[in-house]
Amino acid sequence: MNPLVQLEHVTKKYDSLRGGGTPAVADVSMAITEGEAVAIMGPSGSGKSTLLNLIAGLDRPTSGTVRVDGQRVDTLTEAAAARYRRHHIGMIFQFFNLLEDMTVADNVLLPAQLSGQPRARARARAGELLARLQIGEYADTYPARLSGGERQRVAIARALVNSPPLLLADEPTGALDTANGEAIGRLLLELNSAGQTLILVTHNPDLAQRHARRVIEIVDGRVASDCRAAPAGVLA
Amino acid sequence: MTAAPALRAAWHGLTGRPLQATVIGLVMLASSAASVLALAMIAGTSAPFDHAFARDHGAQVALTVSTSRATPARLAATAGLPGVRAVAGPFRETEVAARISLPGAAGALEQQVVLTGRPSRGGPVDDLALDAGRWARTTGEVVWAQSRTSLPVTLGQDIMLTGVPAGSRRLTVVGIATSVTSTAQAWVTPAEITALHGPGVAQMLYRFASAGTTAAVSADISAVRAALPPGAVLGTPQSYLAIRRQAAAQIAPWIPFVVAFGVIALVMSVLIVVNVVSGAVVSGTRRIGILKSAGFTPAQVTAAYVLQAAIPALAGCAAGAVTGGLLSVPLLNLNAAVYGVGVLLPPLWVVVTVPLTMLAVACTAAMAPALRAGRMSTVQAIATGRAPRAAHGYAAHRLLSRLTWAPRTLTIGLAAPFARPARTFLTLAAIVFGAAAVTFGAGLGTSLSRAAADLALTKTEPVQVSPNAGSLTARQQHAIVSALRRQPATLHYTAETDDQLSVSGLASPLSVTSYAGNAGWTGWSLITGRWYSGAGQADVNTYFLTATGTAVGDTYTLTAGKRQVRVRITGEVFDTHGNTADMFVSAWTLAAVAPGLTPQQYDVGVKPGTSIQSYANAVSARLGTAFDVTTSTSSPVFKSVLVLVVVLTVLLIVVAGLGVLNTVVLQVRERAHDLGVFKAIGMTPRQTLAMVVCSASGIGIVAGAIAIPAGVVLHRYVVPVMAHAAQSGVPAALLSVYTPWELALLALAGLVIAATGALGPATWVARTSTATALRAE
Repeated sequence: MNPLVQLEHVTKKYDSLRGGGTPAVADVSMAITEGEAVAIMGPSGSGKSTLLNLIAGLDRPTSGTVRVDGQRVDTLTEAAAARYRRHHIGMIFQFFNLLEDMTVADNVLLPAQLSGQPRARARARAGELLARLQIGEYADTYPARLSGGERQRVAIARALVNSPPLLLADEPTGALDTANGEAIGRLLLELNSAGQTLILVTHNPDLAQRHARRVIEIVDGRVASDCRAAPAGVLA
Repeated sequence: MTAAPALRAAWHGLTGRPLQATVIGLVMLASSAASVLALAMIAGTSAPFDHAFARDHGAQVALTVSTSRATPARLAATAGLPGVRAVAGPFRETEVAARISLPGAAGALEQQVVLTGRPSRGGPVDDLALDAGRWARTTGEVVWAQSRTSLPVTLGQDIMLTGVPAGSRRLTVVGIATSVTSTAQAWVTPAEITALHGPGVAQMLYRFASAGTTAAVSADISAVRAALPPGAVLGTPQSYLAIRRQAAAQIAPWIPFVVAFGVIALVMSVLIVVNVVSGAVVSGTRRIGILKSAGFTPAQVTAAYVLQAAIPALAGCAAGAVTGGLLSVPLLNLNAAVYGVGVLLPPLWVVVTVPLTMLAVACTAAMAPALRAGRMSTVQAIATGRAPRAAHGYAAHRLLSRLTWAPRTLTIGLAAPFARPARTFLTLAAIVFGAAAVTFGAGLGTSLSRAAADLALTKTEPVQVSPNAGSLTARQQHAIVSALRRQPATLHYTAETDDQLSVSGLASPLSVTSYAGNAGWTGWSLITGRWYSGAGQADVNTYFLTATGTAVGDTYTLTAGKRQVRVRITGEVFDTHGNTADMFVSAWTLAAVAPGLTPQQYDVGVKPGTSIQSYANAVSARLGTAFDVTTSTSSPVFKSVLVLVVVLTVLLIVVAGLGVLNTVVLQVRERAHDLGVFKAIGMTPRQTLAMVVCSASGIGIVAGAIAIPAGVVLHRYVVPVMAHAAQSGVPAALLSVYTPWELALLALAGLVIAATGALGPATWVARTSTATALRAE
């Protein structure tokens, strides 16, 4: 099977006043195939979020290549990277990153509107996602009125509205209480079971073990281990 | 309170936010420059006259006295009156008709002149400035006064005086002199005046201890009058204050628009300084919290934020004072040249007071937001990192998201200003003033261009043909007519005869222009009424109507010597040449009061599309060197003022643009994280740029819509005030300057200012890395 995400010898260094320094990501190579649920794990500052940003086209590697769905991501211009994200990537953040002055429905619709989807189709898709994620009743509510778990569901709906082949989640349960965190974890696994490729970044080994089928551990910017395991928290 | 920490904090705040400091500095520069210029123009209107008056010990009062009623001893005794500081005279004087007979030419120019006998040009009062030649030493010599209304004489020229006891008398011009208060049109030796003298009339010139006001001058005159026998003072005494007012009138027409621009600049600078400092407080809330937790008192925080505005404002005000001063020099010297007082600089008090006042305005404007910073809770400031944000603009987002036909980036941008209503209002007001200045400036430019063309007749009567010297002989007229008829591009031509007549009720001679035939095509712009259609009718300028108390439709009797002719005033002509009374009549009407005059030139209109210079060259080639063929040109003053209008308008556009720039910078800084989210979910740099530009453009469109009527109203108000200052009415064409398409175009001014001001920060945001933006707090 062809890999959906392929990183070859990817290194990312940030400019520092003294120059040199330890790279955030150092010579990382990996391949993730379609339908996988991968957890990228590691302590704070290990470079896992940087790796996610490189896959999302939010940042460029210093060296190496990043391919997603056969497309070179590391050479994209800002505009091309934005278009790439619209069609290939759905992103979920630790602190939700919802736009507070827009309603839940408007937040979810936004990526579809930016990509020029017909309004009716976008609305139907948004409605379907909100219902599936059990937040349909909050469509006209502002994010500030929702709980953390509900907000993260809105963020997931927004990430999926353009039906991207790859879902990237950066500490998706980091800002949630245990119960809400568990629920979001289950939801992500459900999506993966339905065929959604998922890359999950977390520093929580328990979360990685229970909600991913493959765990890649990053230490000091390098791949320390890459294990495949049956997740414990999969719902039938 | 210790000042040093506040100063250090202000300095670090400035260096940390150089853009805001630059905006304040540039705004204060532009507004100070406009204000210095405006005030220098007002304060400096009388400066050239005052300089010349002081230098020449000008006569504060000139009295015409009867020497048969007041003996020389009685007149000399007035020098001892309380309050009299200096006296000159009695100088015997007479009024005669002077005719210039130019060698080698037939015809003449004639003018009634007041001739005074003086032994020398110097003295304690009215120290005449000798511009050329020397003072008269013997009989037969005359020194001619240089003024705008005098005959164009040159040294060595002969002047024939008529109406003197000997019938006529020939004098030779040996000098050209200037009297700052125009005490006479010509001077001769006392011996010469004795020979010419008719009635026993003399001139007494006075300077007083107190003559600063009309009331003081009247009191001085009454004191002198009381000291002389009844009836000794003839006619109306001449006060220097009237001459001073007339001098100020040279530049007065330009003051109203400069003041309008100055006021706009002042208001805009207040709006923008308030906006910039408020923005600095809002965006620097965490910093305020840190300063307070480090031990800053509320007063020190307030002082730091006031200083953050005051330091760049001081630099801007100082630079603005210099810029405004430099801009005012050419305008001030338009008037200075008349009095030969060299280069005039704007008054020092203007250059000092204006920037200090502007600085005080900036500091006062900064005070309210700075006080807010001082009062802010330390815990809240550190915790939130930004000022608490009310839930403004949500409804706008919701409503605008329903505009399904509009791109989402556009509707998000349009909703953005609703998040900060106060800031949006200040920005809107700044753009309104900027766009109103554009509308006003554009209208004023059109009005001035039309006025210049109307006054110089550049469009209607672009070519004049005259002899090298003197008036035209019948043979010369025949030659001109023949040459003009041979030119296929000739559309109209007429013979023009000019004369100056002394008219009761007018201080200076009436300038009469006559044309052969109707000559309505010459294109004099009419304020009211119509162009004369025959003999016995006349068009006059506003100055004439005001000075004589007449109106269009009235009948006026023109008198020259024993000849009289009654004319009906048919129209009011837009003619501000030299603030003199002008009349336009047919050749027949002028001949009725001044027979024997022959035309001085031919005025020519050409067919549309004709090259004026080529036409003039062709006529000149046919007529030869005995004739001058000239083309009409607008006054260079108009060109200078048009440049000034453009400069001031551009300054205000820049100020408004800086206001927008500041607002958008604040907005994108506050929403940096949201902008990162937009980009992360697929917003392209172009969409980001469009969204940010739209956030200002909405304000710009509204501002443009408000600014159009505001600018038009300002134009409608200022142009008549300018014309009034030039002692004229306004033709409708100078007010109706805006065509619908021009207004539509001008309505875009607000949009253009807003979009241009937003473009810089929008581009910066569009180029910012998404990861960097997402990391922003």
